[in-house]
Amino acid sequence: MIETNGLAGGYQKEDILTDINLIIEEGDFFALIGPNGSGKTTLLRLMTGALEPSRGSIYVAGKPIQTYSSRKKAKMMAVLAQNSHVEFDFSVEEIVMLGRYPHQKGLIKHISPRDKEVVSEVMKQTEVYHYRDKPFKWLSGGEKQRVLLAKALAQEPRILFLDEPTNHLDVKHTVDMLQHLKEHQKNRQMTIVAILHDLNTAALFADKFAALHQGRLVKKGDLSVLKNEALLQKVYGVDIKHHSHPTLAKPQMLVAPEKMEEPNLRTLEGEVEQNEQYIHIAFPRPLRVLSNAVSGGGLQWHSHFCNFHVPKNYDCQDPAADVLRWLEDANIPAGDTLGMMTAVKLADQAFVRETIMDTPVFTVVTAGVGNAVDITENHPAEEEWQVGTINIMVFLDSHLTDGAFVNAVQSATEAKTKALADMQVADPATKTIATGTSTDSIAIAATQQGESTPYAGSGTRVGKAIGQSVYRAVTEAIENYRQRTDK
Amino acid sequence: MNKTVWMYIFSGGFVLSAALLGLFVSSVSFPLTAVLDVLAEKMFGSDIFGHEGSSNIEVIIWEIRFPRVLLALFVGASLSIAGASFQGLLRNPLADPYTIGVSSGAALGAVAVLYFQISIAFLGSYTLPVVAILGGFITMMIVFIITRLSSRDLNIETIILAGIIISAFIGAVISLIIALSDREDMRQILYWLMGNIGMRGWSHVQLIVPFFIVGVILLLSRTHDLNAFALGEESAGHLGVNVQGGKVLILVGASLLTGASVAVSGSIGFVGLVIPHFVRLITGPDHKHVLPLSMLTGGGFLVLADLISRAIIAPKELPIGVITALIGAPIFAVLLVRERMRKG
Repeated sequence: MIETNGLAGGYQKEDILTDINLIIEEGDFFALIGPNGSGKTTLLRLMTGALEPSRGSIYVAGKPIQTYSSRKKAKMMAVLAQNSHVEFDFSVEEIVMLGRYPHQKGLIKHISPRDKEVVSEVMKQTEVYHYRDKPFKWLSGGEKQRVLLAKALAQEPRILFLDEPTNHLDVKHTVDMLQHLKEHQKNRQMTIVAILHDLNTAALFADKFAALHQGRLVKKGDLSVLKNEALLQKVYGVDIKHHSHPTLAKPQMLVAPEKMEEPNLRTLEGEVEQNEQYIHIAFPRPLRVLSNAVSGGGLQWHSHFCNFHVPKNYDCQDPAADVLRWLEDANIPAGDTLGMMTAVKLADQAFVRETIMDTPVFTVVTAGVGNAVDITENHPAEEEWQVGTINIMVFLDSHLTDGAFVNAVQSATEAKTKALADMQVADPATKTIATGTSTDSIAIAATQQGESTPYAGSGTRVGKAIGQSVYRAVTEAIENYRQRTDK
Repeated sequence: MNKTVWMYIFSGGFVLSAALLGLFVSSVSFPLTAVLDVLAEKMFGSDIFGHEGSSNIEVIIWEIRFPRVLLALFVGASLSIAGASFQGLLRNPLADPYTIGVSSGAALGAVAVLYFQISIAFLGSYTLPVVAILGGFITMMIVFIITRLSSRDLNIETIILAGIIISAFIGAVISLIIALSDREDMRQILYWLMGNIGMRGWSHVQLIVPFFIVGVILLLSRTHDLNAFALGEESAGHLGVNVQGGKVLILVGASLLTGASVAVSGSIGFVGLVIPHFVRLITGPDHKHVLPLSMLTGGGFLVLADLISRAIIAPKELPIGVITALIGAPIFAVLLVRERMRKG
């Protein structure tokens, strides 16, 4: 649809862009990304013919852009620009009607029924119909932006150029607008070329990307452009990490500024508070934690770690909500807390704090083996969720990658299973040695200080430290449990 | 019927009644029917009410009052439509021939012609309007160049500032010319400068008419472009407007009208500012209506202003520019304040 060859151009005598070679296919949602001053807007203005290139050529639908008359071009492409100053009291509808200009013929420019139909349709689509009689200049920034989009759509273009279309929009209207554009793209094969500052929005809605840096096109391609952390680091000059969107197969970008934490907090100085209801371990700053806890699970950052005691007959309709309520009662900040629960007496807990193979480890375990399970055996029937659990929290002064966290869980689990075997804990249903209990929880938390380690399996020092610490703690906790229950 | 249709009916009626009033009211009064008879006689060759065509009435009505009324109509219409066009093109409600320096440039051109007795052979008596138009156009260009050099776009405030600077400079030059001239010339030029359409006769009507027709056609054919300029030149370009061509035609048209008006009547302020503003308040900003309605209303307004200028201290006359400023400036102030209050 659009092809540029060796394109260069800028303002006055100075070229801002050099040697841009780009092909934008029909029906693409094409995002131009790059920092301020990288030449995105200049490129857009060159492609719309608002600026003359100083070198190179631009082809639109197979023909050089210079061969289009201004009216023909306006039927082919519409532009949603950044500034939107209107002096007189033009109503919203009058502004949108301007979009029909290229379709109106002759000197008189009569407004045809078709014009009216298109205008009211696009006003409805962009949700501006209900204030079509209001003066444009009285609208809020977001409303103006939608009106200008309506105007651009009223041109019925095959290519739509957008310069920062979501600039003044709130989250809802950003998503609405882009979703709406997406539909146009799909239903009418409309080509969309957009400058998007927000990389996450770009990742969600665009299909193709071009990254500009100091007037040069440094990369073009699909989503992999955004996953290229080294490239983004070079283009934007800040560390940008990507991770995956929780529900969509799209990457999301996160800026990682220079370390903002104080570096001297290397020790695992957790404050432990324990009573009948809960064990609460508080750290002066958040630890990176991977866990399957009822509250605050997944891969997160937490400063507080709680293990709540619940009675045997606990009604587990909504355990997460219960944990939040208990946290509130105990005056512990819920948003910054990982919460587990157990029916085991908290007094049976085991604390193991030592430095193993140069890694300071602190492990907290509560263990009850009433419903121990051998995971390798078939069980007669699915059992209900019960509280009676081995809860393991491992705190490490170490720096783990996401993958290493999974390793760490594996290491801790292996050590737990070994401890159960050595303690001869049996599955009451199958009479075989249990591998765990039916509702075990685990949390691996790390300070993330120092060099990061990509592995924490049994072949690594960190993995061994986790394994040994967990083995000791589980053993001790089961002993405590057995002593109290007279086994 | 909507407001716009009413506005056309009202403006049309306003122009007609203002014109009749202008013919009728004066130090020597004639019956209205006699006035109409003279016009009918002259224009269609037969009278309506059967008054004896006395040559006295005929001379006063046809040779003095009627050209005067027509001149006021053309000048008022020209200044108003030019003002409306400048405002639309520059997206600036404060732009008018006066504020952006066109009027003063045209005045300088006209003063130069009068003072130095310039006469370009092939133009004959049209030397005055042509030089005035050129003076206005060149001044406007200088204002735009200054604006362009001092700010990136044609910024509203900068245009007005540049216009004021240039006007002040030209005012000084004109004062210099006046100071250098002998007493009789001085009074004449000064009086003319303040705006005056008295004692001009048909010759001045003939001077303005060709420019009026060309200018009005140019501007009325660009009303759609003017609307498209609402969001700026680049945006208009994206809508398929031939931006450079349209801009030049509008500027040329508005300069023609302003220059010709200044040439025949001196600089009359506030008409081009207040009338379009007033029209926009009622019909909205669509230039398709703002331009023709401003033309009608402005024409009628200037006829009335002229009437007041010769009635208020009769038998002496005030310069019409004094009247338009005395009426226009307070109205404009009220409009500005009201606008602000409406916005809240």
